Amino acid sequence: MNSAEELKYLLPASVISVGVQTNKPLAVIKKEDILQVAEKVKEMGFDNLSVITGVDREDRIEVIYNFFSYKKKQNLVLKAILDRTSPSIDSVVSFWKVADWLERETYDLVGIKFNGHPNLKRILLPEGWMGHPLRKDYDMSIEQFVTVGEDGEDIVSTDGSNLLRGE
Amino acid sequence: MDPVTIDTTKIRTTKRKPETALEKLEDTGMINTILAAKDREGFILLTTIDQFINWGRLSSLWPVTSGLACCAIEMMAVSMAHHDIARFGMEVFRASPRQADLMFVAGTVTKRMAPRVKQLYEMMAEPKWVISVGSCANTGGPYHESYCVLKGVDNIIPVDVYIPGCPPRPEAWLYGIIQLRQKIKNEGYGVKWGLNK
Repeated sequence: MNSAEELKYLLPASVISVGVQTNKPLAVIKKEDILQVAEKVKEMGFDNLSVITGVDREDRIEVIYNFFSYKKKQNLVLKAILDRTSPSIDSVVSFWKVADWLERETYDLVGIKFNGHPNLKRILLPEGWMGHPLRKDYDMSIEQFVTVGEDGEDIVSTDGSNLLRGE
Repeated sequence: MDPVTIDTTKIRTTKRKPETALEKLEDTGMINTILAAKDREGFILLTTIDQFINWGRLSSLWPVTSGLACCAIEMMAVSMAHHDIARFGMEVFRASPRQADLMFVAGTVTKRMAPRVKQLYEMMAEPKWVISVGSCANTGGPYHESYCVLKGVDNIIPVDVYIPGCPPRPEAWLYGIIQLRQKIKNEGYGVKWGLNK
């Protein structure tokens, strides 16, 4: 029994299906039960949350958690399906501290809201950037430029005249 | 005593055109310098101002310490003993742009880094040169279609030499540096400053 099947055995109501993703055990879970599942996963010994990422599938948005257990030397992948229009899921910062920055990154690039996150703002792109770049409907035709303000803060604008060289 | 009267109309001031090399030297007034040097058994080196200034500039190009991405690792390799840019008088990487006259744009220029790179360039004192290193700095490279990477650093600052590669080998860096030295060697400052009169 791999870790995903073990999770399904422990929480049959929360796990929709189990499978394999890139040679790792995958469990698709209900998004409402993420805190319950996270608690159980932590109890199972998955002490390391490696990656949180999101995928835009155009009709839905998936949020994916990759776990690793240093004690058992096992992997586990959790996946939750979210709404396309307003994707949101509960934050797991209370279980893994690293989720703070990982969730901020996922919010920054895919635009998934993590409810209960202590400081949910952009981490890679500057404040004021328009759109979430890993969404399929991100508008690549608008070129955005960053300039530095008087206090060293980033100012985002579509006007690059004080940055680009005049020809 | 009779006053001596001189008929100035009868005096013809003729200046012979200098023909021999010695006469030419005499004409420029440089003969005194040479005679003085001969007295002291010294030597004289003749050159032009352009050549002298350019020689001084290209012999001690000090780069500013700024690396943006993996090309900066190659920059370290170039400055280490094996490839050794100390041969060009360039080993002094300055931590302040105020003391540097060369900037290696070594790596990916992201949108967020671009204003800082421009500011670094503007802080450097004249004369200053820029070498753009690697595909990313030249054109955007593998990130050309990206939302967050500038399509070439020459969009924001003027570039003297482009070195292609991803990242370029240290030999390519050295070739680029030699190209820049060639360029500096051919710059004409005397004409610009009006010293050619």
